[in-house]
Amino acid sequence: MASLSEPVISVTRLSKVYRSGLRMKRVQALNDISLEVEKGEIFGFLGPNGAGKTTLIKIIMGLTDPTSGTALVFGRPPRDAAAKARLGFLPESPYFYDHLTAREFLGLAARLSAVPKSEAAGRVTGLLRLLRMETSADVQMRGFSRGMLQRMGIAQALVADPELVVLDEPMGGLDPIGRKEFRDIIVDLRDRGKTVFFSTHILSDVEMICDRVGIVIEGRMAEVGRLSEILTGDVESIEVTVKGVTGKTQKILERVSQHTIKSGDELLVTVKGEEEVDKIMAICREVGGIRVVGIVPHRRTLEDYFMAHVAKAGRAS
Amino acid sequence: MIERVSGVALNTFRESIRDKVLITLIIFAVLVMGSSRVIQPLALGEEAKIIKDIGLSAITLFCVLISILVGGRIVYREVEKRTIYIILAKPVRRWEFILGKYLGLMAVLVVSQVVMTAAFYVILLVLGVGAPLYLMLAVLMTLFELVILTAVAVLFSTFSTPITGAVFTFAVYFVGHLSRDLKLLAAMSPSPVVKAVSYFLYYILPNLGNFNIRPEVVYGAPLDPSALLLSVLYALVYTATLLLISAAIFNRKEF
Repeated sequence: MASLSEPVISVTRLSKVYRSGLRMKRVQALNDISLEVEKGEIFGFLGPNGAGKTTLIKIIMGLTDPTSGTALVFGRPPRDAAAKARLGFLPESPYFYDHLTAREFLGLAARLSAVPKSEAAGRVTGLLRLLRMETSADVQMRGFSRGMLQRMGIAQALVADPELVVLDEPMGGLDPIGRKEFRDIIVDLRDRGKTVFFSTHILSDVEMICDRVGIVIEGRMAEVGRLSEILTGDVESIEVTVKGVTGKTQKILERVSQHTIKSGDELLVTVKGEEEVDKIMAICREVGGIRVVGIVPHRRTLEDYFMAHVAKAGRAS
Repeated sequence: MIERVSGVALNTFRESIRDKVLITLIIFAVLVMGSSRVIQPLALGEEAKIIKDIGLSAITLFCVLISILVGGRIVYREVEKRTIYIILAKPVRRWEFILGKYLGLMAVLVVSQVVMTAAFYVILLVLGVGAPLYLMLAVLMTLFELVILTAVAVLFSTFSTPITGAVFTFAVYFVGHLSRDLKLLAAMSPSPVVKAVSYFLYYILPNLGNFNIRPEVVYGAPLDPSALLLSVLYALVYTATLLLISAAIFNRKEF
């Protein structure tokens, strides 16, 4: 769905080449990437480790410059302070100042983000409460666990109540409860009209909360779109469970199926599509005494999709 | 702009003040000043001057060490620990970051100097060798030397590791105190290569010898106020130039 408003993030034909080592070996981290993130959506940036997710995020944050192509945030170059004033960023595996307490650190983040002094203390206390960090508020961060650091990371990203939140692997290092809390925070941000752009290699996070996804593999954009568009209609297989099958009928059914599993008096028949289901129904009617007790279509999951793309990229290289 | 620069500066100050390296150096400085009494019997009537000279030298030496050791890793550490990602994702311009780091470190040096000077005066009073206030002039000139040296440390910190940065900063400090000798060498050397290198170093490296007025202060030799003022102006201009170069290097940096 195209939006009339200007995209929050706009990346056009972006490439990034690193030179590394003594021989200045060429490493192409990003190759001709284009994408747009619209206002008010949760955009999941998905890819295996080393696919170039962090590199793109660094470019969007103005930490690294592209070799070619352009990246715009709120229509401005990423390094522009006016663009940064409207966004919050959580880097991957964030690390903060050991010597600061949680409250001091969020105070620093608020000050650097130009949060008015009169509001800063209240904002910091509110975030500490939201992230259940109140009891550690005045403790130096050197002893914080990975999960606590991750919470501090999201807190500092949200301190200026930004319009756009960019999160690099936000679920990393979190336990299931922490992940649920983070997902709730992200969904709540969208509900309040904010835009969220986050990278991950964890598919379930994307499936649960993203409006749109971009899939990056080996520095190239494999696909950008709504999850429903990427996954719709692709019924991979259908499982039909039948009862009262004899040995002879089982053999007939095996001929139309991909595979079968016998469990007690039930037979699970996996077939390719609806046509085969019709055939099974016909066979059951013809033989008699057989009841169809379940038909479950298996749609393509994001994982299947993702793995297919990775495999394709692997074959191509 | 002021909020952002002072925010970075305050954080740098807090970080350094809570750092064990700084506390250790200050304690050592006070111990060295206190131990000057040990050499008293060797000084044959010059005790007071020796104690003052050792005290002022200790303040200079340990502040130089703080500047080099803490300053040398001040930017590098933010990059290495990736705290820089958090700071630069805020609406902080890169030059504001460099200026904030520099000012934070200078605040640390001023506080260190104040603590050491206070300890120095307490020691002078305890030893009963007289504690005239004009000795502070030497400390003040050291501060302007530190203004330059810290900018050198910050400059190296933008592109080198802490150890390399510390070695280079120390080299600049060392050669900076040989400025007059360098000029002399350039004038007298028959080799055009030595001449060229000496002149190059003489003009590009800071002339730090001008900031050492400890002998004059301790031994009561006359001081030229206009020369001192000129040295102060020199320190400010030299430092501004170094900070501009540091900001330009940092601006090109990719993380």
